[in-house]
Amino acid sequence: MIRRYPASILSLFSSFWAHRQLVWQLTKRDVIGRYRGSLLGIAWSFFNPILMLGVYTFVFSVVFPSRWTGEGQSSKVDFAIILFSGMIVHGLFSECVNRAPGLVLANTNYVKRVVFPLEILPWVAMGSALFHAMVSLIVLVSAFFLSNRYVPWTALLFPLIIAPLVLVTMGLAWFLAATGVFVRDIGQTTAVITSVLLFLSPVFFPSSNLPQKYKVLMWISPLTFIIEQGRNVLIWGALPDWSGWTIYCVVSVLVAWLGFWWFQRTRRGFADVV
Amino acid sequence: MLSESRSDSLSSPFGEKASEDLEMGNAERHEADDVAIRVQGLAKRYQIFDRPQDRLRQSILSRLRRFVGASSRNYAREFWALKDVSFEVARGETVGIVGRNGSGKSTLLQIVCGTLEATSGEVEAHGRIAALLELGSGFNPDFTGRENVYLNATLLGLEHEQIRDRFTDIEAFADIGNFIDQPVKTYSSGMALRLAFSVIAHVDADILVIDEALSVGDAFFVQKCMRFLRGFMKHGTIFFVSHDLGAVVNLCQRALWLDKGEIKAVGNPKEIAEAYLADMVESQQGAGKIRATALPTPSDHTSSTPGGGKDQRLGFLNSSKFRNDIELFQFDPRAASFGRGGASIIEVQLHDSAGDPLKWCVGGEGVTFRIRCFAHQPLFSPIVGFWVKDRLGQALFGDNTYLSHLGSPLQLESGQLFEATFAFHMPILPVGDYCFGVAIAEGTQREHVQHQWIHDALFFKSYSTSLSTGLVGIPIDRIELRVLRD
Repeated sequence: MIRRYPASILSLFSSFWAHRQLVWQLTKRDVIGRYRGSLLGIAWSFFNPILMLGVYTFVFSVVFPSRWTGEGQSSKVDFAIILFSGMIVHGLFSECVNRAPGLVLANTNYVKRVVFPLEILPWVAMGSALFHAMVSLIVLVSAFFLSNRYVPWTALLFPLIIAPLVLVTMGLAWFLAATGVFVRDIGQTTAVITSVLLFLSPVFFPSSNLPQKYKVLMWISPLTFIIEQGRNVLIWGALPDWSGWTIYCVVSVLVAWLGFWWFQRTRRGFADVV
Repeated sequence: MLSESRSDSLSSPFGEKASEDLEMGNAERHEADDVAIRVQGLAKRYQIFDRPQDRLRQSILSRLRRFVGASSRNYAREFWALKDVSFEVARGETVGIVGRNGSGKSTLLQIVCGTLEATSGEVEAHGRIAALLELGSGFNPDFTGRENVYLNATLLGLEHEQIRDRFTDIEAFADIGNFIDQPVKTYSSGMALRLAFSVIAHVDADILVIDEALSVGDAFFVQKCMRFLRGFMKHGTIFFVSHDLGAVVNLCQRALWLDKGEIKAVGNPKEIAEAYLADMVESQQGAGKIRATALPTPSDHTSSTPGGGKDQRLGFLNSSKFRNDIELFQFDPRAASFGRGGASIIEVQLHDSAGDPLKWCVGGEGVTFRIRCFAHQPLFSPIVGFWVKDRLGQALFGDNTYLSHLGSPLQLESGQLFEATFAFHMPILPVGDYCFGVAIAEGTQREHVQHQWIHDALFFKSYSTSLSTGLVGIPIDRIELRVLRD
């Protein structure tokens, strides 16, 4: 019998397109809703990254002076900026992944009372994470400009670098959102995994700093490639590794599809469980 | 709460309308025009796990075992909420579902709406479904009423501009004032209902699915909803669950009785409601059949000859064409009834104030209603009651002997005849068919055993009336219209 939710690659994108208005409304609500009731409101989304960057700059230039010993020259502000660029990418990923297991559970009304396109919930989480990443990026680029008096034109390529990460994250988010409905423990494990990934990715140090035998470990993290390429375009003004990027894109589409497929195949059971 | 034209046998919930139109031949489309909801062999199984881990074990281990060829062990207890349910609802039809708690009504509605997946069987729904399932349907409690209206209407397939155009209407219908900009979690259940109903009333739905929801609305709002539903019924399809049998009888063209997940009966709402009520009373006090012992026939005990009723119109000199003429029919002792059978009602008659049985009466005149009963067993404190129902089965008025005999309950031996009489002024009735229902019970008003309950004991018909409005007219003592001067 019975309805099978479409799980093809095509439907992955067509469902997003069909419900773009809804995604937009919900994302807007999600972003505004986070600061609702606070005095400064949405301004907090700007203050947060500014404060973060300020703290990093202070710590790594005064308390614990550090240099990015990878390629290129480095000023004191640059270390914080380099660090911050990695944090933005990691933040985007971990925000989505950490929220994913609770997405369906937090919206039981949408499961039981209305026919809701549940597969857009991870898009909403992604939309709001992207918004915060974008604000942080503006802060980052402004800070870079203030300290270096220029911004590499390659920074414009940053969205291209982020795109495949968005797909990988979506794939994981779909998988976690669906599985989290049946196995509630998932919600506890993602927080641990994302913080481990923070150190498995070149956020605090360049991957070239690692001894050869540990390098493999770092390439386990899906963030490593994106963070390195992101720094290439944002900070070093270099062009990305296009062949690596192409491979990453192909893999990311597959991951997204797998996650989406899993979500669509298991969602029939949601209403019985929540 | 909604979905665009949906059909579970097709695979795509997205953009399926287009593909459906393409795939559907003309003949099929014609068929789809007549049927709003088609349910075929629907079944729903819930698996109940003692521990949450068992759910995981069931889904993984049983598959593994099957894979290696071993018989799979079942970790769950099964509960079938619905078993092989099939029916159709025609376009424009209003169908009510009755059934006791846990009989599968809500499950059925949820599957029809598409929020719940059936275990087997097929559901087709043609047209836009808007549903009111339980309280606060599909509202996000953290969003404001306004945000929820936009969200729900978007889900129901409205464009942003359409919602903006209709928002004033929606707000006015819900009539919840400034709460519209407060989060829905601050709403009372009545306010949430108002807003939810208001949304589904403004989205051009083809099919409305309503689950019990109206019970929390205040009288004013329920009236407003009823007016809307009656208007909607002219072109749309309504599928609803209610424990209010009056509403089912009143609104529906057809009723569906669900019992333990199966359809027990489908048909005329009045008959279904009566059968359902009888079943409920019986299951509460244990089933019983009216004894087949020889009943004394009415003629043995009534002095007047049948058909010898007095025509009260003769004495009504100030006649006009507005006089409320009411024709009475004969009591039918074999009319549908239920009860434990400790006593039987053998004669029901309407008399004039002089004590002669009536064939006709006039609204506003004094009459005496007599119910004669026979005790099959010793009875302590019997209660005899009657009620008058209109064509739709709504009780208009009625009473029983409980309060008047509170201090001195009657005690009856087996085989005794007894009679209850009620003297009252027959109200003025709108033109139409009416009937007396009668019942004999034993016990108190609150706790009693029904011995016999006859749904339609005595029919009567009102031919003409002076009544201008209302279900019944009462004698108005004085009517004046005059000019006032200071």
